[in-house]
Order: sequence, then structure tokens, then C-alpha cells
Amino acid sequence: MHRRSLRLRLLVTFGLGAFILSAFFASLTYLGIEHVLIGNQQRTDLNQSYANAALVRSTLYTSPPELPNLLNSIEKATASNVLIQTHNQWLSKSQGAVTQDVSQDVIDAADGGAATEQTLGVKGQEIFVVGLPIPSVETQFFEVFQLSTLSHTLGILLLVIGAGAILTTLMGISGGLWVTRRTVRPLERVSAAAALIAGGELTTRLVTDNTDREVQQLTDSFNAMVSQLVDRLERDARFASDVSHELRSPLTTLATSATVLSQHREELTPVAQQSLDLLVGDLSVFQSLVEDLLEIARSDAGAAPELIETVPALELVRQSVRSACQHHGIAAPPIEVADDVHDPLVNVDRRRFERVVSNLVDNAHQYAGGVVAIRISVKNATLVIDIDDTGPGVAPEEREQVFQRFFRGRAAHDRGVARGTGLGLALVRDHVRTFGGTITVEQSPEGGARFEISLPFKEGIDE
Amino acid sequence: MPRILIVEDDDRIRIALRLMFEGEGFVVDDAPTGEVGVALFNRMAADIAIVDIMLPAMTGFETCQALRAASDLPIVIVSARDDTADVVLGLESGADDYVTKPFVPEELLARVRAHLRRRPDKSAKAFALGNLHVIPDEGVVRHHDGTELHLTSTEFRLLTDLASANGKILSREDLLERVWGYDYFGDSRLVDVHIRRLRTKIEPDPSNPLYLVTVRGAGYKLVL
Repeated sequence: MHRRSLRLRLLVTFGLGAFILSAFFASLTYLGIEHVLIGNQQRTDLNQSYANAALVRSTLYTSPPELPNLLNSIEKATASNVLIQTHNQWLSKSQGAVTQDVSQDVIDAADGGAATEQTLGVKGQEIFVVGLPIPSVETQFFEVFQLSTLSHTLGILLLVIGAGAILTTLMGISGGLWVTRRTVRPLERVSAAAALIAGGELTTRLVTDNTDREVQQLTDSFNAMVSQLVDRLERDARFASDVSHELRSPLTTLATSATVLSQHREELTPVAQQSLDLLVGDLSVFQSLVEDLLEIARSDAGAAPELIETVPALELVRQSVRSACQHHGIAAPPIEVADDVHDPLVNVDRRRFERVVSNLVDNAHQYAGGVVAIRISVKNATLVIDIDDTGPGVAPEEREQVFQRFFRGRAAHDRGVARGTGLGLALVRDHVRTFGGTITVEQSPEGGARFEISLPFKEGIDE
Repeated sequence: MPRILIVEDDDRIRIALRLMFEGEGFVVDDAPTGEVGVALFNRMAADIAIVDIMLPAMTGFETCQALRAASDLPIVIVSARDDTADVVLGLESGADDYVTKPFVPEELLARVRAHLRRRPDKSAKAFALGNLHVIPDEGVVRHHDGTELHLTSTEFRLLTDLASANGKILSREDLLERVWGYDYFGDSRLVDVHIRRLRTKIEPDPSNPLYLVTVRGAGYKLVL
């Protein structure tokens, strides 16, 4: 299942939160200021209109022909347009005035003797129209104010508030980043450390440079958990090792006594001979088991660094294969070396490497009719040693399990006669890991199993 | 009949080993401690000894040294652990070979027989190695001034086999087969430790060998 990233979620939450909040407050601020500014402007304009209407009235009283001049001078002084109507006829207007600016509603209201004001959006520009009746001269006074100067101010205000909102959102995101780092980084450290531990690096512990109490607690409990786990592992390993050590002496006596009995085989009855053969057969399994357990106990205790030497890999493989095949009494398989392999050097414990090859050769011999070829190549800057057989192969679901201790695969069950210790491949993997390598099992080109060992290597001086 | 000395503190293993070797036609001297073992050997020299390393009081290493000081007999140590330090220390104490418990009895028998089969190669020609004269038919190595340099039979065999290869490289397996007479068992440490011990005896500067040189990835050769 696809999991959402905590990092992404935190970032989105912070970013979105900051955006919504800042947008909300920016709108609120803008609308509030706009309301106040326009209200102020309109009040000022209204007052101006009353003053202008008084002027018009007195001019109409005293010298009506002066009216157009007066209107023009009002237009100049207040940057507004003035229109005068009487008996539904336009009496006069200032130069820039347009009769369409005054709606019928305003005219009707003024006609009816009521002062009105109206804000209209005309041609994208807001105008504020005031209609005042001047009953004493049966005239209606209309004044049209442009609100465009205000909208310019509001535009700038919008810009500033918008920029503020964007800045706040960005700060929210960066705050989110900071919090995310602080929250997620300890998690990532834990996850990396857990991966290392799972990979066998049991000395891995978390270090914290972070003074957060929660992180400190996480670190402490994680480290405590790992320590207990390691203790537990060591106890288990020690137990296996102790048991095996205790078994060595009685096993030696048993095996030696069985040999003594075999020396006197001829003196035994057929029944005793048969039971002696059973005894000897299983003693050797018992012996291999104890040897393997001891070897695993040593492997768990870690490789002795003084045993690791730099060895030419090709020679090492050839020698190991030769001695393994001699040991198991079988013919040595061909070793095929890819063209791009020159003189790789590997860091290994020679004895353990020989054991790896011996166990794999023995495994193929027991379950798959023997190794068909050993192929050496270089893949992704690691040295790859493939040990291929033509047997039934390893089922995909068993490919990880075959390396577990005491795992018995289908092949082992099918061939009831074969009696391994169940530790051979586990040992192989343990040893390969101490060399810093990996081992996997796949399908060989021949259709059997392919055990693929990958080892880090250095290129030697090619002769 | 070959005579074998078994020094082993575990009574049951000792008795089983005694029975096994007697069954194979050996005359067996067995001792529960190193002191008794050395005393038995001084009274009647054995042809070969098996010494357990984990002994009370006098350790297996000390027992090896005492036996080695008295004789060139082949000594096989029985190491409780396949611990390299133990094995190396045992071989440095003068042992020729080692097995680890729990050993396969047939394998121990085969090793003992191989050691007894070995005879010094008297046919090899004498040769000089710096200030040393190696005289195979007498089985000795002499300094220029005539004093004898003491080598164990395994060391002597190692030296003469490398010499008879005429400067050819011998792999560790070749040497195991020639010197120890083994087909497959034994591991390369056996060869390496003996080479090292031989170097301390014949090389002017053992850490920079002039004669007994390591050929990386192949084995060893003797430069005459």
C-alpha cells in the first residue's frame, strides 16, 4: 500500500494553514479599509455637495446667468461634475458632466424632494452620485464624484496586503520545513539505525544532537531496546556455543568408541553390525552439526580481523573448489571466468572462504546432482561468483529461507536420504557477510539453482 | 610396532583413543597430565605424540615444548577450539599438526599414519643457503662455522622439498601433500605457521625473507 509521506503532509498542512489564515486576514483587512476609505470619501463628497448646492442656490437667486461659470469653477475646484435640472429639464451642467451618469432613480428621488446618494460602477470606474433638491428655486442639484483616485489607493493597498499574504504563506512553508526536519529527522535516523541493525551492524546506536525531550526519550528507549536485543542475541549465541562446547568431549569419546567398535566389526553379530552402521552414520551427522554450531558461534562472535587477508580471487576460488571437491570425493566443475575479470583481489579469511565453497559444492552435490559450472564475472563493481547446478532449483518463496538456520527446503524433504545439518547455507551466508559480501540464490542458466556470491574487490596489478 | 604417546586429561577420551590405537596395532602410552606424559616419554621414547592443549597444570603448549626439546618426534595437538590463536601457539610450541575437537577419529588415524610414513628424503642433494649448508643425507643444517642449526623433521622436510622444486613455486596444497603427506585435510595455516617458524631459523631478517619468499596468490618458493 502506498503510504503518504509525513514530511509532505506536514509541509502541506503548514503551507495551506498559513495560506488560508493569511488570505482570510488579508481579505478582512482589505475589505475593512476599503469600507472605511470609501465611507470617508463619500461623507466628504456629500458635505461638499451640500456646500456646492448652497452656492448654486444663491447664484440662481442673485444672478442666474453666472450659473455655468459657477458650475465650471466647482468642477475645477472639487474635480467633480455638476448638473442642474429643473422641471425635468437639464438647466445647466459643468463642462465634463455627462447626463447619463445621473440615473433616473436619483432624479426621481431629488424631484420628490429627497436627498439621495448612489454609488455606480460606470465603465469600470466607480462614481458617487449625489442628488439634492433645492426646493426654493424648484431645481435639483446633482454632483458626480469620481472614486478612481480612491481605487488607485485601494489597488496599492491590495498589492501590499497580497504580498504580505504570500510572504506569510512562504513563512508558513519554511516553518513547516523546519518543524518537519526537526520531527522527521529523528525518525529517519531511527529508521536508518534499524536498517543497519537488521543488516547485522549490532553496534549501531542512535546519537542525538537534539535536545528535544521527546527525541531524547525516543533515542534512549531505542538504544535500550537494541542493547537488550544484542544481549539476548549474545545469550542465545553463547548458549548454542556453550552447548556445543559441552558436547565436544562426549562426542569425541562416542566417535572414537564407534571407531573401536568398527575395528571389531567382524566379531559382531549381523544385528549388532547393522546397528553399529546406524550409529556410525548418525554420529557423523551429529559431529558435523556440532562443528557447524561451533563455527556459527565463532561467526556470531565476529571475524578475527587478523585472519582477513588480501588474496587473489581467481586463485582462491580455484584452490577452494579443488580442495572442496577432493574433500567430498567428486569431480571438480569447470570454472568460467568472464573476459573483463583480470586479477581481482578480495579481503577474506581463507579458511572461511574455503568453507563457503565447500558447503555450496556439498549442497549442490546432495540436492542437485552436483555443480555444473562456477562462473566468475564483474557486476556493478563487485566480483560475482556464481555456483550453478542443474538440479530442481530453489522455489522463489524459499530463496530467502534457505539461508536460515535449520531450514529444510522441499529438496531436503523430497530426498529423505540426504541428511545435512541444516546449517550449511546459514554458515555460508554468515561467512560471506563477514567478508562484506552478499549471497543470493536464483535460477541458473541450466535451470537449476544459482548461488551468487558478490564480494567487494580491488583490481590487482595485472601481469 | 609404532609407539604412540597420548596426553589427554579426559579419561573417557583417553581410554577410547587408547583402544582405537591399540586396535590399529600401536603400542600406547597414555598420560592424564603433561608432567606424566613427559616422564613417560623420557622413560620410553614414542614415535609420535598426541597432546591435548587444554591440560591442567602443565599446559599442552608447555608439554609440546618439553617433548620438542627432547626429540624430533611428530606431535599432533588436539585443540579444544578451532581458535587460530590456539592453533598458531600450538604449532609455534613445536607441534607439527593439529586437529580440533570433536575430531573424526579416522582422520586422526590417517594423520598419524601419514606422519609415521614420512621419512627424511636422503636422496636430495646438499645445497647452500647463504651461510647455511643443508645436508639432506645427514639430515642436518650447518652454519658456516660447522655448528648445527636445529630444525624439526617437518621444517627440514619443508626446506628440502622447496629446494628440490628447483626454484619452482609450490602452492600451500602442494606443500601439504609433499611435507605432511595429506591429500586434502589440514589447512593453509599449517603451512604458513611452519614457513614462518622456518624463516626465523634460516633468514637473516625473517620479516624480509631473502630465500624463502612468498609468491602472492601462488605459494612459496626457495631462492637459492
